[in-house]
Amino acid sequence: MLASANILVGGVFHAAVLFLVAAGLQIVFGVQKIVNLACGSFYALGAYFGISALAWAAALKVPAIAFIPILIGSGLLLAIVLGPSVERLLRLIYDRDEHFQILLTFALVLIFEDAIRLIWGAVPLQTINVYFAFGELRIASDLAIPNYNLIVIAAAALISVAFGWMLKRTRFGRIVRATAENKQMSEALCVDVSKVYMAVFTLGVALGTVGGALVVPAGAASIDMGVELIVDAFAVVIIGGLGSMPGALIGALIVGFVRSAAIWLYPEFELLAIYVIVITVLIVRPQGLLARTA
Amino acid sequence: MTTSTAPIAARTATTATSKRALALPALLFLLIFIFPFVAGPHYVILMFSAMGYAIALLGLNLLFGYTGLLSLGHAMFLAIGAYTAGYMTSTRITNFELILLVAVAIGATVAVPIGLLCIRYVKIYFAMLTLAFSMLLYSFLFKFYHLTGGDEGIRIKVPSLTAWDLSGLDTLSVLTGPLYYYVFALLVLLTALMRCLTSSSLGLQLRAIRENQQKAEYLGVNVKRYRLVAFVIAAVYGVLGGVIIAIPVGLADPSIAYWVQSGNLIFMLLLGGYTNFLGPLLGAVVFIFFQDQLMSFTEYWRLTFGVILVMIVVFFPNGLMGAIDRRGWWST
Amino acid sequence: MVVNVTLLQAQNVRKLYGGFCALDDVTLSINDGEHVSIIGPNGAGKTTLVNVLTGLVRPTAGNVTFKGHNVVNLGAVRLARLGMARSFQLVNIFPQLSVGETIAVAAISHLRHGERFFSSTARNRPVWEIVERVAAIFGFSGKLDQPAKILSQGDKKLLDVASAFALSPEIILLDEPTSGVSTADKSTIMRVLVQAARQMGIKAIIQIEHDMDIVFGYSNRIIAVHNGRILADGSPASIRARADVMATIVGRQRDHA
Repeated sequence: MLASANILVGGVFHAAVLFLVAAGLQIVFGVQKIVNLACGSFYALGAYFGISALAWAAALKVPAIAFIPILIGSGLLLAIVLGPSVERLLRLIYDRDEHFQILLTFALVLIFEDAIRLIWGAVPLQTINVYFAFGELRIASDLAIPNYNLIVIAAAALISVAFGWMLKRTRFGRIVRATAENKQMSEALCVDVSKVYMAVFTLGVALGTVGGALVVPAGAASIDMGVELIVDAFAVVIIGGLGSMPGALIGALIVGFVRSAAIWLYPEFELLAIYVIVITVLIVRPQGLLARTA
Repeated sequence: MTTSTAPIAARTATTATSKRALALPALLFLLIFIFPFVAGPHYVILMFSAMGYAIALLGLNLLFGYTGLLSLGHAMFLAIGAYTAGYMTSTRITNFELILLVAVAIGATVAVPIGLLCIRYVKIYFAMLTLAFSMLLYSFLFKFYHLTGGDEGIRIKVPSLTAWDLSGLDTLSVLTGPLYYYVFALLVLLTALMRCLTSSSLGLQLRAIRENQQKAEYLGVNVKRYRLVAFVIAAVYGVLGGVIIAIPVGLADPSIAYWVQSGNLIFMLLLGGYTNFLGPLLGAVVFIFFQDQLMSFTEYWRLTFGVILVMIVVFFPNGLMGAIDRRGWWST
Repeated sequence: MVVNVTLLQAQNVRKLYGGFCALDDVTLSINDGEHVSIIGPNGAGKTTLVNVLTGLVRPTAGNVTFKGHNVVNLGAVRLARLGMARSFQLVNIFPQLSVGETIAVAAISHLRHGERFFSSTARNRPVWEIVERVAAIFGFSGKLDQPAKILSQGDKKLLDVASAFALSPEIILLDEPTSGVSTADKSTIMRVLVQAARQMGIKAIIQIEHDMDIVFGYSNRIIAVHNGRILADGSPASIRARADVMATIVGRQRDHA
């Protein structure tokens, strides 16, 4: 009972963060047809920057209630600083073969990893005690869920809903979708495609950095977390289908639960379990469970 | 029917074997051959590693330069080679040839199922799948301590040679002497073999697959089969390279399968030039010596490589060989 | 006497794309000795029909057999082996391969030399004999070394057709082989195609064509497609007698030109 409840909550928590990052991947792919291998790096950067932001906040005696907005804010700030410059770099190879895009984002992974080493060092870092700062939810006598998990899940859900609303209901969202469908047509209709690309990319980066920032209180920030995430995010995208938001959600939930279950039950098989699923999906339904046919 | 000797269109291919074109690889091989006579032991060992990387890269470029499949996980085969060397030298079977043979057998066996799955996909999917498999291997090597030695790895002793009695020689002498030339001979042989393969119908069909998969199919080229062939050959070369690279290090550990290693391989290939048959060879040599020098300057070599890779990708996609081999004698 | 062997057969083929019906209950058979022109306005389903006939697209209902085998199950590679070749409407080449190499790929398939991993292609006489022969027929003799990507649009199209011919297929399907080529060259190309077919023993040609001069000048059978259905199927004379076909299709063609 204890184990399954923990698996459930852990799974949803992990899924929530994973969904944010995967959503970032999907939107960048959907609009610019680029798969950003550096999404893991942004996630890691978000985590490390979040730690610094919280350390700074704690030094200023900011109350605990502000921690979550601070984390989200730090993620956004980082995205606004990094997103446009990285996008401008990627712009140089938009019309080249896809392999070059992969290679360029791969180079970014290398650069960002050393950047983290340079700024924060190679030793894993932890935040100040945020995780238990919000208390717990007592479900049973032996079962308590840290409220932090619930808050993050709620925050991720809120961000997703806002994101979806933005895409469907706002003018900007319509422009984004139109550009994704048909870039030349949008250009012909006087849409400044380069601005759209920059905005979308920055949005994608933001989802990654915020995800990293939100997850870090529950664990630690390490140099490896970026690559581990790429592998997870890739699994999500494979399972759900490249380009599909609902697919990203389902994929995130599946990966989140499998990870969570593996950690509790068979830690050695954590990574293996994910791959078994990915491989099964690839064999049975290669385009993903909910892929868009485009 | 014409009465000409060599068909016109074949000129491009045969030009490559003309005297001037052969000068390029000949020069490189000569340099590697005389190296132990002119350089100190530290650098000779570097060249030893470079030869191993060159072999691995020849395979990787068959996959990327010729077939158009970018593998981000090729390091997994290097790891298989290294660990094979480790396991075998810890038994009584320390024979170099045998180690290579066993490594090839294991590498090919592993490559077939992985290849069958991965080659169905192209571009980003293929890249990510190969990355995923190599990280899976890394994870496995790391976690299963009792089988693999965990992050401590497995020691690799210097292998013995059939044709040469190495007893009485210390490790350094072996590595800069008999074993060095053994590996050199292997390098030349494997390069010639790869050249043979790429000049054959396999090479042409792989390039057709790279250029236009659909059209290749409609012209009767079995895309899946040849991609798999390329994948397995690349794996075999990777495994051979892995054995050679690991010997001077003396240790097989999980980090060999880590994505950074795969990244290094890709970097070397881009540096040397993936659009050229000789790119792998040049890239390996230049990279190894460059990395050695760079590491004595700064610990942030990843950053440096990342920046250089960006420059290459954006401004010099054909790498060094692109600048050197302007006539395209050796182009893929 | 030409034995009327049925090579390619479509039975009750339907193709639906979502709600849109691209092909509706199409039944036809292509026999030895036929030079078929498929005509019809844009969007009528001609390319879809060819795609279904060549196994590129799976029909929603019905089946297509080539020499008795179901084309969908075979896949492009086995179809090429069995003797079916096609060219494409949009330019479909190997950009970095030379003209000679492009044709050589087909020649290698035809000669079943694909598995010769240890002998140099450059010295493979039989392959290059085919390359030189096909190149000569199609006018590429001086251009064998040129990379395909630098050819003119018309030449690229022609190369696509030439490489299909180099397979020495029994049946060849061409999607607008003369489009993108100037009018003067069109008849030259058609003469080349017909001559090539005769020289290489091709048994049937199927051609999607918009140019009515070519249609009536070269084919011995015309299939008129309209809104996914076969409007008419017969000899040029019988088609000319069909006022509805002439009005719907031929009439519209003139407007386009």
